[in-house]
Amino acid sequence: MIQSTFQKIFALRTYSNILWILFLIIPFVKGYCQSTNSNNYFSPDNRLQFANYLYKDKDYLRAANEFKEYLKFNSNDTVQFRLSNSLFKIGRFTEASDNFKGLFFGSKLSEEARLMFFESNFFQSDFNSFRNLADQDVYLPQKYMKDIERLKFATYFFDNTTLPDENILLEPFPVSAQSQIAKFYIQKKFQLHKSPATAAILSALIPGAGKIYTGEIGDGITALVATALSAYLAYTNFKADHQFRGWLFTGLTAFFYGGNIYGSAASAQIYNARIRFDFDKEVKFYFEQRNYFLPQIDL
Amino acid sequence: MKLFFLFFFLCVTLLLAQTELVKWESQQMSYELPAHRHHDYSIDKSSLGLSILSVARNAYYFFVSDLDGDNCAFSPTCSAFFIQAVKETSIIKGTLMFADRFTRDINFFKGSNHYPLLSTNKFLDPAYNYTLHSAKIKL
Repeated sequence: MIQSTFQKIFALRTYSNILWILFLIIPFVKGYCQSTNSNNYFSPDNRLQFANYLYKDKDYLRAANEFKEYLKFNSNDTVQFRLSNSLFKIGRFTEASDNFKGLFFGSKLSEEARLMFFESNFFQSDFNSFRNLADQDVYLPQKYMKDIERLKFATYFFDNTTLPDENILLEPFPVSAQSQIAKFYIQKKFQLHKSPATAAILSALIPGAGKIYTGEIGDGITALVATALSAYLAYTNFKADHQFRGWLFTGLTAFFYGGNIYGSAASAQIYNARIRFDFDKEVKFYFEQRNYFLPQIDL
Repeated sequence: MKLFFLFFFLCVTLLLAQTELVKWESQQMSYELPAHRHHDYSIDKSSLGLSILSVARNAYYFFVSDLDGDNCAFSPTCSAFFIQAVKETSIIKGTLMFADRFTRDINFFKGSNHYPLLSTNKFLDPAYNYTLHSAKIKL
């Protein structure tokens, strides 16, 4: 049978005929291959596999997109948690907290989701709302009550709210951390600020004194020298009856004198801002190093 | 006659000869240092006071700064700071801010202050830090 077929083919004797046959056969063969190896790369299972790979690879932005696609067709608490966590990791805290909310009821991950919900709210930097939320006792996870309480007390270091009693604030923190947090507490409560009004008054009395008060000694001495020199030149010119030059140097004296009073107040404000900035940086670094005393949840 | 032809030949050769610049397409070298500083000569038309100030600043740029060179240790420069200060606040407050900046500029020991140092080796000292609004201060 095969022999006869070959004989028939070769009987055609021309290459063009062979090409015609190949032209007809190839689409069928290709279609058959495709039907046997059909692989839908975008099926929900494949998307999930890919999303999990991206998640483990810490490519959270793309992982979140894949998890979202998967959740269009299936419902899965772990996937929902991973999606929320991915959003949290890439800094989309509002979206993350909304997604964590979806796991609050009827899920085995409810407690963890609630903790992460609070974390997401904390990182939105609206600390007043965060404290209100923690005080409401509505979504608090029973398992992580202490952690949320610690987080709540940590917020007092990040905004300008009046600090609570020291013992109350220190109580939820581990004993090993209490001494450092007590130091932060004292630093925050008794920040060595300079008064802009005092600086301005000092400069009004003695030019440059306000600048020296705010720690800018070089600027203070320069202001004193510039004001004194221009005042002296004004005086000598008036004495020598050089009216124009006298008034010119009087104007210059007023320029240096007024500028120094203003600059001393501004300098005190900058000094205070620097103190706050350094303190915030130190506190943030300390808490970040310890993950805000929160457990590491890795699903 | 021979000399005339020789002279004529030399003249024609010289006239038609390609100079080195044409032959090798070479270009004249310029040893002038490129100017890195480009002053903003635009006039602020948002108010009459700012327009007058912009004109005064442009005059300062043209007659003093461009000839004297880039000597201000701060960024923005004192003249730019003055305009920024007036824009941020008012003419009176802006002048006081400028007076303070000028005093700080003539301080010989300003390096010991806490100004952030830019890559251009200048101290960053923007006007918004001196408006007496603590919320505007950026360190």
